[in-house]
Amino acid sequence: MNPRRTLMKGNEAIAEAAIQAGCDAYFGYPITPQAELLEWMARRMPELGRVFVQAESELGAINMALGAAATGARVLVSSSSPGISLMAEAMSYLAGSEVPLVLVNVMRGGPGLGSIGPSQSDYLQAVKGHGHGDYRTPVLAPASVAEAIELVPTAFELAERYRTPVIILADGIIGQAMEPVEERFRAPERAPADWAVGGADGRPPRVVKSLHLRNEDLDAHNRHLQEKFRTIAEREVRWAGEQLDDAELVVVAYGTAARVARTAIHRARGSGLRAGLFRPISLWPFPSHELAEIASRIQGILVVELSMGQLVEDVRLAVEGRVPIAFEGHAGGVVPTPGEVVDALERLAAATVPVPAGGSR
Amino acid sequence: MSTIDAPPRVIFESPALLADRSTHYCPGCGHGVVHRLVAEVLGELGLGPKTIAVAPVGCAVFIYDYLELDFIEAPHGRAPAVATGVRRVRPDAFVLTYQGDGDLAAIGTGEIVHAAARGEPITAVFVNNGVYGMTGGQMAPTTLLGQRTTSTPTGRQPALHGYPIPITEMLALLPGVAYAARGSVADAGSIGRTKAYLRRACEVQLARAGFAIVEVISNCPVGWGMTPLESIEHLRTVVAAAYPPGVLVDRLKEAPAARGGGAGRVEAPGERQRATGPAPAEG
Amino acid sequence: MLTAPLEASELRSPLSAASPTPHPPEGRPPGFRPLSIRTDRCKGCELCVAACPHQALALDRSAVNPLGYHPVRLIDPAACTSCAICARVCPDTVFTVYAPPRLSASRPGAAASAAVAGAGEGALR
Repeated sequence: MNPRRTLMKGNEAIAEAAIQAGCDAYFGYPITPQAELLEWMARRMPELGRVFVQAESELGAINMALGAAATGARVLVSSSSPGISLMAEAMSYLAGSEVPLVLVNVMRGGPGLGSIGPSQSDYLQAVKGHGHGDYRTPVLAPASVAEAIELVPTAFELAERYRTPVIILADGIIGQAMEPVEERFRAPERAPADWAVGGADGRPPRVVKSLHLRNEDLDAHNRHLQEKFRTIAEREVRWAGEQLDDAELVVVAYGTAARVARTAIHRARGSGLRAGLFRPISLWPFPSHELAEIASRIQGILVVELSMGQLVEDVRLAVEGRVPIAFEGHAGGVVPTPGEVVDALERLAAATVPVPAGGSR
Repeated sequence: MSTIDAPPRVIFESPALLADRSTHYCPGCGHGVVHRLVAEVLGELGLGPKTIAVAPVGCAVFIYDYLELDFIEAPHGRAPAVATGVRRVRPDAFVLTYQGDGDLAAIGTGEIVHAAARGEPITAVFVNNGVYGMTGGQMAPTTLLGQRTTSTPTGRQPALHGYPIPITEMLALLPGVAYAARGSVADAGSIGRTKAYLRRACEVQLARAGFAIVEVISNCPVGWGMTPLESIEHLRTVVAAAYPPGVLVDRLKEAPAARGGGAGRVEAPGERQRATGPAPAEG
Repeated sequence: MLTAPLEASELRSPLSAASPTPHPPEGRPPGFRPLSIRTDRCKGCELCVAACPHQALALDRSAVNPLGYHPVRLIDPAACTSCAICARVCPDTVFTVYAPPRLSASRPGAAASAAVAGAGEGALR
């Protein structure tokens, strides 16, 4: 059966994808540019007899989510950059307590109150842990409304399979854009939750906690968490490439920046520059091996971000100096244009050593 | 000659929901009494198997080791929000929070006010001993004027440190609060009344009448720089004068049919029988 | 603020002033113990000592338990009325309290020793 094709706003599409994925509860607080997600949930969740709460703050929302998720419920929270900062504490507790949850960040300009324009300036916050302590959070970055719809059920699966919070990192353009999408919704099966609390009826009591006061206990717990993160890093890398086979210059970008880059690459190809796109979809675990392999046979990398340079740090780590790396970015809600990206590609071409088409150096 | 035809009857014993282990609390600390009352009340109402409880940060952070209940550890102050999440996805569960004065009236002020304002049908236990015990005896929002603490070494002064907060009186103003009471652990009589308040607060939840809170003024011998006996005397006289025990509001009594989230009154298992002993063995 | 620690005797329950120690009913069997005490759990806080209306409890200063405290001891079993005030004020639930068994004027012997065994230390139902 063909899925229905409709025009959906990104925020609403993400919300509906979560609902169709079996989301039991949504907790949120209004903040631009994702208020539509909350409002969609406010209308739809009670219709379905599910839980919706507009909390008193993002702090309240994420802690309500912690409680609900600790009972094994499938929970979604959404916010935007300043609200996400308020959730850092709870994310650390969620990671330490191993409680599954999906958090959507529709990024806006920062730091501080910033602006309501789109940005990608929460990359480091999302992929480097965000709250205190040794932990990593899987981060998925859609580049379109359609991809966001796909990644929502995937996020729930990852969260429950590995007992971890998972972040969907979108930006204000994806949140606000209306795009034609096929309603390809998916409801993943629920992982068994033999750790969840629900009342100690006929079994020993369970405790969902992150406190391990004895140093040896906490050390052991952290080793267990790191083992989990290693497994995730082995199995859950996601990325997409376009026109990489014969590329001499590669643009690395995600989300909305990748769409700008795609247009720039088409234009650059038109004037003889062999450019390709490497688009991470999982920002953590980062596709380091795959990028390193490509870096060994190209002339240069251009990183494009709606930020002052955050993804570029992980690109440098992955590339390990194999090839020169340039950066093109803007903050404050300003989106780089394809023309600016093409100019940056041409500057990079001029400054680097050419490689033969399709061969390695 | 008189003889015996039955073994002696047990008239007081440790409740089944109280774990059989020594606690880390200081000698004389009121937490031990309040834990026991919670265990007694939940046991008598048969709520052990249905309870999802939320633990605080503070001296009572290990409460999950002392009560035989499912527990979620909340970040400092967030217990009422965590409990809200539980309440909403588990309409069948019995939801209880346990917080100290820092957890509830300092860092968690926002969460408790809004859970109360929403009328979340949860039961909040608030142990107020006017000092931050776990971190070494600093001032709390409920520290009394003139009281010396490690962060008010010359005594709490309004100009420097502000005034103590009557948080339960403030909460009692909210229509979402169906029950608010203040008990004390100063003596056996107060303890008995506190138990009755806790039981009432549980019944209010079972009736889905709204938010229920029982503050229990308690002693902190080490934090107050007193012996346990001195701290009880101080609790009975000075603290009780500033935070008077009693029922602040009982809206269930006023309008029993007015509230209720649609599910009607849910009778707890074992509620009809006033059990004097422990609840049947839990898993 | 108090400068010298108060003695338990100075902080007696108001009940003890109002009603001098009533003697338990006659005919309580010898060996009946109204309390069993988890001396390994006691923290020597003395709240029970002060709260007891009959001054039947005191810390045993000749003993130190594994926690490092002088545990409480029932020093005057005859004065204990099983009122359970000690148990209610104890933060560590060290007390189990028994009511004296009912008396009847028949069947001597085996039933009496069974009652004494049932009231022994640590008997929790």
